[in-house]
Amino acid sequence: MNDGAGGAYNFSEIWPGFHANAASYALAMNPPEMDHISNRGPVNYNNSKKRRDEDECAKGGASTSNSDNDNLIEGDGKRLKAEGISNGDRESKAQREDVRNSGKVTDKSAAKAAEPPKQDYIHVRARRGQATDSHSLAERARREKISERMKILQDLVPGCNKVIGKALVLDEIINYIQSLQRQVEFLSMKLEAVNSREGIYGSYPSKDFSQHTFETPGMPFDSQGAREYGRDSSPEWLHMQIGGSLERPS
Amino acid sequence: MTSDHIPSLRNPSSIRTRLAHRFVRALKKLSMDRPSSPVSVSDRYKRYRMIRAAAYASMASSVGPRRAWARALLRKIRNRKTGNISMKRRGVRTCLVTKRTLLKPRDHREMGSQQENSLRGLVPGGEEMDFCRLLNETGHYIKCLRAQVKVMKNIIDLYSN
Repeated sequence: MNDGAGGAYNFSEIWPGFHANAASYALAMNPPEMDHISNRGPVNYNNSKKRRDEDECAKGGASTSNSDNDNLIEGDGKRLKAEGISNGDRESKAQREDVRNSGKVTDKSAAKAAEPPKQDYIHVRARRGQATDSHSLAERARREKISERMKILQDLVPGCNKVIGKALVLDEIINYIQSLQRQVEFLSMKLEAVNSREGIYGSYPSKDFSQHTFETPGMPFDSQGAREYGRDSSPEWLHMQIGGSLERPS
Repeated sequence: MTSDHIPSLRNPSSIRTRLAHRFVRALKKLSMDRPSSPVSVSDRYKRYRMIRAAAYASMASSVGPRRAWARALLRKIRNRKTGNISMKRRGVRTCLVTKRTLLKPRDHREMGSQQENSLRGLVPGGEEMDFCRLLNETGHYIKCLRAQVKVMKNIIDLYSN
């Protein structure tokens, strides 16, 4: 692994994040597993050669690039893609690398770069490992989303900001919704009572009727939403401020 | 005052006017076919139920079908209406009920905490959502319920003094 990281000194120019990634993979892997991988080096190399041929076929042999590097970049690119970085990024990287390697590359450097297949394999394995990791990434993102929404809800429900803990916050929210639903029930009961008493619905208010009721100064409400609704001032007859209508005997 | 900085929170005011218009229209319609003097308790209870349904229906329809809870609420009210009609015709009713229970997926209900389940019970259509969506819909539902309460208070206040 140390060799691999040492052999990568020219890759770090291509992609600055390489060293950190290699180190993190080294950290992430168990030592026995690593041995296992390095024993299987040659097989690996053949694999990567096959893949290199495919790569060059795909490119139409336009460039005389060092395909080991290319391969490595490709592996990285795939890993990047798994993390959600766009594919175009990878393409541009590969092109830059082509430009860099379009000069004569000696066999020595090619031999030196014989290490990368291992790297590549590690990357593949890391990618396999990262399948679970991406799950946990997605899980983390989901959890973040949930906590963010919980925060929004906390802002929405009055008196919920001081409560700590998901269950308690949910309890508060449930209580608030229940109280609102009960309020709707109560108010519709009251509407029914008002209706049966007066028979109001035949004469619904016109705008001029609303004008003088709109003038009445509002009493401050305790809840956030009420304050917000009291503050907007469109000339609708519904927007007038009311206070304590529930307590008043009808 | 913090709610002024978030533009999405100012949105319900427009929903609120739409809601009020719909609700008033529904109440007018209810008063059209109202008997001249409702005396019996069961009659008044029935009318209370109708007003409540009108309130919820106007709330849901003013939100529109984009929200899952509004869709679910409208469906529920419609189902209840058809259930009431078919209560007179027994055979149809049983058919409807089995269909409704079959259609309702209860996958999320088994897992999740007690609070989550009761929240699912409270928010219309909450049984079918995942938790993230449920929280989203809950927020919107709370806003709309608040607007509804305000509108109803305003109407009552207009006529009680």
